[in-house]
Amino acid sequence: MEACNVVEREVDKILLKFGVVNEHAETVLQDLIHHIESLKKEFAEAPANHELTPGQVQILKEAMKKVCETVHRLTTEHRELHGSVSKVGKAIDRNFTADFASTSREDVFSGPEKSHLLNQVICQHFYRHGMLDIAAELAMEAGIKTDEGTKEPFTELNYILDCLKQRNLEPALDWAKKHREALLAQNSSLEFKLHRLHFIRLIQQGPSKQTEAITYARQNLTQYVGRHGKEVQALMGTLLYLPNGIQSSPYSHLLDPTLWLDIHDVFTREACTLFGLSVDSPLSVCINAGCTALPTLLNIKQVMQQRQVNTVWNGKDELPIEIDLGKDGRYHSVFACPILRQQSTENNPPMKLVCGHVISRDALNKLTNANKLKCPYCPVEQNPEDARLIYF
Amino acid sequence: MSDVKSLEYPTLKVPYELLNKKFRLAQKVIDREASYVQTAANELVKDNKTSVPAGEMSILLGGVVEKLQTLKRKAQESIAEELQAGMVCKRRLEHLKEHANTAPSVVNQWRRQRLDRMLIEYFLRKGYYTTATKLADSSELRDLTNIDVFMVSREVETSLANHETARCVGWCYDNRSKLRKLGSTMEFNLRVQEFIELVRQDRRLDAVKHARKCFTNYDHYQLQEIQCCMGQLAFPANTSLSPYKDLLDEKRWDRLIEQFRHENYRLFQLASQSVFTVALQAGLSALKTPQCYSANKEGRNPNCPVCNEALNELAVPLPFAHCSQSRLVCSISGKPLNEYNQPMMMPNGYVYGEQALEKMAQENNGTVICPKTKEVFPYKKIEKVYVM
Repeated sequence: MEACNVVEREVDKILLKFGVVNEHAETVLQDLIHHIESLKKEFAEAPANHELTPGQVQILKEAMKKVCETVHRLTTEHRELHGSVSKVGKAIDRNFTADFASTSREDVFSGPEKSHLLNQVICQHFYRHGMLDIAAELAMEAGIKTDEGTKEPFTELNYILDCLKQRNLEPALDWAKKHREALLAQNSSLEFKLHRLHFIRLIQQGPSKQTEAITYARQNLTQYVGRHGKEVQALMGTLLYLPNGIQSSPYSHLLDPTLWLDIHDVFTREACTLFGLSVDSPLSVCINAGCTALPTLLNIKQVMQQRQVNTVWNGKDELPIEIDLGKDGRYHSVFACPILRQQSTENNPPMKLVCGHVISRDALNKLTNANKLKCPYCPVEQNPEDARLIYF
Repeated sequence: MSDVKSLEYPTLKVPYELLNKKFRLAQKVIDREASYVQTAANELVKDNKTSVPAGEMSILLGGVVEKLQTLKRKAQESIAEELQAGMVCKRRLEHLKEHANTAPSVVNQWRRQRLDRMLIEYFLRKGYYTTATKLADSSELRDLTNIDVFMVSREVETSLANHETARCVGWCYDNRSKLRKLGSTMEFNLRVQEFIELVRQDRRLDAVKHARKCFTNYDHYQLQEIQCCMGQLAFPANTSLSPYKDLLDEKRWDRLIEQFRHENYRLFQLASQSVFTVALQAGLSALKTPQCYSANKEGRNPNCPVCNEALNELAVPLPFAHCSQSRLVCSISGKPLNEYNQPMMMPNGYVYGEQALEKMAQENNGTVICPKTKEVFPYKKIEKVYVM
């Protein structure tokens, strides 16, 4: 934030100065124009062949001197702003990183095949966000073939999501009905939540809709009593408070508008799992991770350069430093052996000792002495043969 | 905030360079108009003019007034343009400052805009101009991206692709002082190309005239190239002799386009790689684990971007993430494994989170099913493991 503020101060300064110069130039030049015009008028009113008196010549000379001086001052004034302008540039140079590309390799995404792949990823990203026209344009300009199959689920999902945003439940309910079995298999309560919202909306419209709400509940909610008994009870309980308004009842939490935001997320998540897709666009996840990682990487690169050890990191096997992406950025379990401080691999997998502690197989072999192993974390002595291979 | 510092340099530097250019242009205009006024004023008070009649003098004064008015108008216009360029900088700064807002909806929106901005720049560098324009218009990001700069360069590039030099020469002329500071050979190479084209058309006398006009004021280190060009005159246009054949190669035009792009980036202090590819590389590396490349597809996670087919292939040459501390997640619930969600081992050696297994046991009368091998075990057989 500080970086932005520093630059903004300089920009504000220069904007202010431009404003001042502008105003000043206008008034000064206007005055000058008035002065000369009155002089001109004076001369014009004189008889046609009247010669200038020495006094008039003097006035004229002074006026012209003034013109020259004012104009000169004006150009100097403007020129003096140069310093302030270049200060903006210097502030940007000082506070922002110019060679942000120093940690990346140019060859990774170059070449026609790679850029084709990358364009496909971008196209998918646009489909996912419902920007079909832009995806089509990109496909045309970059010359990628899109098959309708990849587009299809997103078109439907985006339509349903748009409807949900406008509080139209119908398309989502139809979709849930169509995929009921698959949804039940993944233990989803999406359909119930949609019905619940519909019921709540009826209730909100007051006593006039009471019979309609009850019919709706009879038709649609009975099938959920087994799994969502408590929630169905709560919904029916609202009927008690219908005449006095639900706002002041114990059920007021059902009116919370966040339920509508939730359904948006629930629907996206369930639908994506159903189609075997990731919930967020892979491209967004990657870029956000990259934006978190890059400052750290640039820092370590600089430190390595200063200590002249930059040959240590060739940028091929592993990043030189751990990047914390927060708990959302973890998709795979990584087991790092606490003894060897190395990530486990297929040749060096994690082993569970009899006592329950986990170390890598290499560490296990190193610690074994005369076919006996003492756990490095507890006093248990054991036979290394009893250790078990485990999978995270 | 540090990501803004390390990624947004081009967002601010390009409008600054434009502001600087506008400033210099304004100075030039004001200087020129001021000198016109001064000449007119000095003309008036020359000694021999004092004896002219008053009527004539009034006409001369009218000339001065007119010049002053032009100065006033031009100064106003120029400064207005400078102010506009300054406002662009300010707008972008304001956008960057919104990043400090921590409300989740604002953060998400900002990140989405950032991705769109990056994509627009990537498209522009790749030459997908229509897509870039469309995306900029639909997400209302035109002011926050350097689209206009690239649109100018697009015109120059197409003209070079049509084997015309005029536009590019004009561009060199526009940015002459800056290019000289950068030690650019763009204009020289264009002139050489013009010379070659004249030779190709067998207008050798015109070529010599062109050389006299253009080549005489270049630096001594270009002498060799100039000699080479002049040597060209002695050979036919279909020669197969080495340096002259290369000069006549049509590919030289493509190299000119390449050089122009490069010089244009340098002019605006743009890096040779786009922010998008840089961030994508860093992101893929930070997310890349050996599991994403494990032979059995079981280890892959559909939510992991690096397990995505296309990105998986793109990430092959990139380094893996570094990890010195175990980071375990339950593959059933996706939640991290820690003291609140203990890692539990099934008899077949697979490890999952306690919470997910407990829930599964409740729903299935005390038995759990391994999602990977589909084996069924009683919940009692689950053992705790300790990961340091």
